[in-house]
Amino acid sequence: MRIFVVTLRKLVRRPASFVTLGILIGLLALILIAVAATASQPDAGPGQRQGLLLVTFPGAYTVILSFILGLGGLFAVIYGAAVAGSEWSWGTLKSAVARGESRSRYQLASFAAIALMIGVGMVIAFGAGIAVAIVGANIAVVSTAGLSDSETLGTLPELLGRGWLAIVEEGALGFAIATLARSQLAGIGAGIAFFFGEQFASIFLPDVIKYLPFNAANAVVATPGEGGFSGGGGDGGAVIASLEPNEALLVVVAWLVGALIVSTLFTERAEISG
Amino acid sequence: MTTDGLALATRGLVKRYGTRPALAGLDLSVPSGVVYGFLGPNGAGKTTTMRLLTGLIHPDAGSIEVLGRPFGRTDRHRLFEVGALIESPSFYPYLSGRENLRALAATGARVAATRIEELLELVGLRERAKDKVQTYSLGMKQRLGIAAALLSDPRLLLLDEPANGLDPAGIVAMRETLRHLASAGKTVFVSSHVLGEVQQLADVIGIIASGRLVREGPIEHLLEGEGEVRVRVPADDLDAARAALAALVSDGDVAPSGADDGWLTVRIETNRAAEVNRALVQAGIYASGLEAGSDLESLFLELTRGDGSGGHEGTFFGVAGGSR
Repeated sequence: MRIFVVTLRKLVRRPASFVTLGILIGLLALILIAVAATASQPDAGPGQRQGLLLVTFPGAYTVILSFILGLGGLFAVIYGAAVAGSEWSWGTLKSAVARGESRSRYQLASFAAIALMIGVGMVIAFGAGIAVAIVGANIAVVSTAGLSDSETLGTLPELLGRGWLAIVEEGALGFAIATLARSQLAGIGAGIAFFFGEQFASIFLPDVIKYLPFNAANAVVATPGEGGFSGGGGDGGAVIASLEPNEALLVVVAWLVGALIVSTLFTERAEISG
Repeated sequence: MTTDGLALATRGLVKRYGTRPALAGLDLSVPSGVVYGFLGPNGAGKTTTMRLLTGLIHPDAGSIEVLGRPFGRTDRHRLFEVGALIESPSFYPYLSGRENLRALAATGARVAATRIEELLELVGLRERAKDKVQTYSLGMKQRLGIAAALLSDPRLLLLDEPANGLDPAGIVAMRETLRHLASAGKTVFVSSHVLGEVQQLADVIGIIASGRLVREGPIEHLLEGEGEVRVRVPADDLDAARAALAALVSDGDVAPSGADDGWLTVRIETNRAAEVNRALVQAGIYASGLEAGSDLESLFLELTRGDGSGGHEGTFFGVAGGSR
């Protein structure tokens, strides 16, 4: 518990926490406002007017969450990798181990703090996204009556919970990759490569891709048959099958647990130097 | 071999990196309540030893005893009574010195609430405790590293090059702190390249070369056994002086210095310096200078000569090695 609390404090003070969240919210705001402004032009075509769905409630709730899962997933990979990799690069893991701390406990408690930070960041980004979507709706002169749609609002806690689990899984992958790389920069680089590599893999492995971590994470909150808005981190335009949300949830949990086991086992067995 | 009364002991410690042996059967015996100077050329295995003693890496063979008990993969609790500064101090650059100590205090043994402020005071960082570590100088980071090593009030302190980056006042303060700790019954194990510093600080030294211990014992005893007396006589009397001194030691143990400045070096116990002077006087030769003793550097160079791990032989940068 001590390590969890201290890691939480460290993460709150860490510039990467604010930078990552700031960029995510900035991009979300930029896209929503740009789409709303374009769609509201008198000469906008049918395709552009379809963009108004992004700022039309209650559907905007799911779209914003999908966006956070897509682009936020990439950021979660980077964030998880940055935190895990810096423990090796800065030698702070070494200091903890030399004090007799359990390697496994240190890693798991650190990741638990990351997961909580991701949850807080996701809620903040979601709230900011809704605020920006309202602004976008006003720009595009779209009704915001759907904001208080009780049926959708009732499903939000579950959607947020599923979304949190999905992003945490992506953070865990970054965490595991950086642990294996024992380096902050190498971990971030490999994490980004893995993220985009999975999208390219859809070309070669169309039947397998839905089980891979990022696609499974995106499917966790998607309605079956609906691709969702992936914000650039989704299916890259390729037509690929998605898992059922509940099935995706199981796959996400499997990847999450697997990533943590790999991180923990590797740290436990690693020879720490430098 | 008994390890009673030892704060730290290794027996037959072997560590290989691939096929390259870093330690080839290291036997260390560190008595309790002393400052132990751990010396060796670059690449001799000092840092590898420190890593093994703190559980960062694991031996291929041999055993370690920490504070009288075996220390293996599953004995990490042994380290609760050990403080360590391995290689360079490691901190979160975006946190302050105080926050870094708090973060570290959350790991391993529990730390008293007041301990962090005491240590910041001890290492002279109280004024800068709120500043981010990334703004600290090398010496300040080193002082913070020493504070971090002392967090749990350890019975055994392992310090790798603790004087790195410290200014002269900092070195003196560190020396006094470590001496004080030893006088309070704690054991301080210091790995260092600064031989003069170790000579002033350590009670016992161990010298390692090519992964093996080549000498270990109380520093005074080791230097006494390896002593020499240097005398300066008029250049015209050099031959006569050598002949006079041959009565005390064999001819091969008397040698002029290479500088042709009238100095003769006599390999003899330092407590026989007066005998050297008397022999010269009896031969009608009056020395204008006399120095007795042996510095650690001479002993170190003699013992580590031929260490192929990257020591003092060859050009300074020309030998592969470096800290492992």
